[in-house]
Amino acid sequence: MHDRLHGLLKAATLSIALAGAALAPASAQSVDVGKHTPITILINASPWYAGFEAAVDLYSKQTGNKVNLDVTPYGGMLEKARNAVRGASSPYDLLNLDGGWTIEFYEGGFLKPINDVDPSFTLPKEMLTCGNTHWWNAQKRWRTPDGGKLMGVPPNCNVHIVAYRKDLYDKAGLGAPKTYDDVASACQKLQSPPGLYGFVIRGERGNPIRYDFSTFMVGHGGEFVANPQEGDYTVTVNSPKVLAALNQFIALAKGCGPANFGAIGQADLIQLMASGKAASVQVVIAAWSNFEDKTKSAVAGKVAAAAVPAAVPGQKPGVVIGNWSFALPNNATAERHKAALAFLKWFSTAEAQRAYAEAGGIPVRSDTLKSDLASKPQFAWMPAYLASVEASVASLGYAEAAAVEQAIGLRLNQALIGEMSPAKALNTAAAEVETIFSRSGRKTGKLPPLPE
Amino acid sequence: MRHQPAGLIDRTFPYWSLLPAVVVFIVLSLYPLLNLLMMSVSTYRFEGGVEHTTFDPMANLRYFGEDPGLRPAIVNTLIFVFVAVSLELAIGLALAITVSRVSRYKGLIRTLIILPILVPPVAIGSMWRLMYNYDFGVFNQFLSVFGLGPVNWLGDGRFALASVIMVDVWHWVPFIFLILFAAVEGLPSDVVEAARIDGARQAQVTRYIVLPLLRPAIAVAFTFRAILAFKTFDEVFLLTSGGPGTATELISLHLYKVFFAQNNLGYGAMLSVTVILMVVSFLLVSRRATQGGKEA
Repeated sequence: MHDRLHGLLKAATLSIALAGAALAPASAQSVDVGKHTPITILINASPWYAGFEAAVDLYSKQTGNKVNLDVTPYGGMLEKARNAVRGASSPYDLLNLDGGWTIEFYEGGFLKPINDVDPSFTLPKEMLTCGNTHWWNAQKRWRTPDGGKLMGVPPNCNVHIVAYRKDLYDKAGLGAPKTYDDVASACQKLQSPPGLYGFVIRGERGNPIRYDFSTFMVGHGGEFVANPQEGDYTVTVNSPKVLAALNQFIALAKGCGPANFGAIGQADLIQLMASGKAASVQVVIAAWSNFEDKTKSAVAGKVAAAAVPAAVPGQKPGVVIGNWSFALPNNATAERHKAALAFLKWFSTAEAQRAYAEAGGIPVRSDTLKSDLASKPQFAWMPAYLASVEASVASLGYAEAAAVEQAIGLRLNQALIGEMSPAKALNTAAAEVETIFSRSGRKTGKLPPLPE
Repeated sequence: MRHQPAGLIDRTFPYWSLLPAVVVFIVLSLYPLLNLLMMSVSTYRFEGGVEHTTFDPMANLRYFGEDPGLRPAIVNTLIFVFVAVSLELAIGLALAITVSRVSRYKGLIRTLIILPILVPPVAIGSMWRLMYNYDFGVFNQFLSVFGLGPVNWLGDGRFALASVIMVDVWHWVPFIFLILFAAVEGLPSDVVEAARIDGARQAQVTRYIVLPLLRPAIAVAFTFRAILAFKTFDEVFLLTSGGPGTATELISLHLYKVFFAQNNLGYGAMLSVTVILMVVSFLLVSRRATQGGKEA
């Protein structure tokens, strides 16, 4: 009996050992991308950079391929990328492009479609779609995989989440906010300025307010333009739905934020949360590491993440993608294109994504986001991020995006600070955006003005 | 004895000797300016990785009428230049006259006064943005000691431009001070002494002797500073990015947005030419005004 039991135990131990041995190489296995020439990547110095740097180190260690990084502040990225692609030969093999800039590069013919380098390359099925901003259909002038070419691989599907103080919420008997009405209720309970602001959102003129307002606008079913994908550029920014969204946005920004709500930028928002002066903020996932780093944050371990709240109870939340995309400049040699693509192949693997996430990166594979990492406290943001990113849509997907954003970003800010009524701000923005599209020869128009 | 007529090379040597300077002038000044003028009457687009240029001055001119950010940018720039340069001249002049009368530690005081001009603009922007911070800034902390504030320095349209001007004054007063201090130190002491012997009081010496003698130096300081003030970019970019609303939108910042954010190269070039014309017009008007005053 004892021998049989011993035998069974041995067999069980052996089975576990074999299973472990079989699994271990799988988890540590790296894709064989071959030997390649050194590459140089233009990369932004964003909060998730540490994760990317760690992934690059692992790539070099595993493959022996050398990677140089040109780490550049966000403000200098666009000009470096433009100069690189407009010259005779790009100094970079991979350009990390903000989703908002991609159309300029696609339309200008500055980038090499990935499948022109390797026709067999496909993105893993686990890869998040990231609003499909890395696809380009030149005929339709639209970013879509439908008839489009793969132009890049996203390193980060940047979307909003709501970061909130779990300790304060728990103490006040509040659950994670699911709607902006929940956010407003929590704000009423927790608001105690200037010591604690209930909810902070970016109101700074330009991209900050335009992007943060988008979650309200899309949540209300509004849009800046009717149907640009099908060529209908009728301006709809002055619709009643967008007006309702703007009123909701203004009420929250003014009622729950600091008195300088019209000047709050990303750095101010992070500072308020990390210093314990904000009970909740709407922030891009890329900023998360600022709250959990004990050397930078007074609230490390006390912050939880919620997916973007619904603007209208019972309806889907409006999540707008603001991601990055790694792209290959056209003006590099075939050898350099292959070396760059080898890195992208490796970077898309589950193992690379895990290493990237563990070191502070924002992974772009759903299996990484659903893995055991998600149950660890430091990765508690993963479910909220996944939920937000799965509901996300791309915005401003046309060549005139920068001019449109400036016009709308200014008028939204003027409505927020009270220089214009919300209706007048939207009517003014609509007229300006219509002029922009009209100048480009688009089929455009605008809705009847809202009563001011 | 008279020399033989010089050869062709000798006769034309004065002109040849100017050639390096002329080449440098053409390459560094004239060509970029002509290129800018060409750009301002053209439109640009990129296709297939190649730049396509079309001569179309009307296209860029149309933007002038349709650009909602242009008017506030011009108005703000004129206010900024007038107020900032006036304050800098007044404070710089007062400091120059005061420090010139100090008998001890003059060198140390001069060094301390010029410190702000040595600070890099990015550091100035970051430093003042922190000091103006609504929640953590030193100004609001100071006001709270007296039960005042907090003031929304950069987020309130009533204060934002004034706050940016304050930073500019802090940054550039040393520049005016340096020019005027050198001029004050170089004033002929016998004239001042003679006035004092004639019974002139200090205020009268300053009003009727020092200021008229400093007039050329003040004109130089004003000219240099006004040119620089028209081109102010870094301070406003770092402090407010032109907001809130259009409260601090200056022409250089607007130009940057058109050129780099919107990638509208033709209209951006036309705006650049406009800025150059604005500066030249401003200087001509000021020169005429100061000359008119002199004749009177």
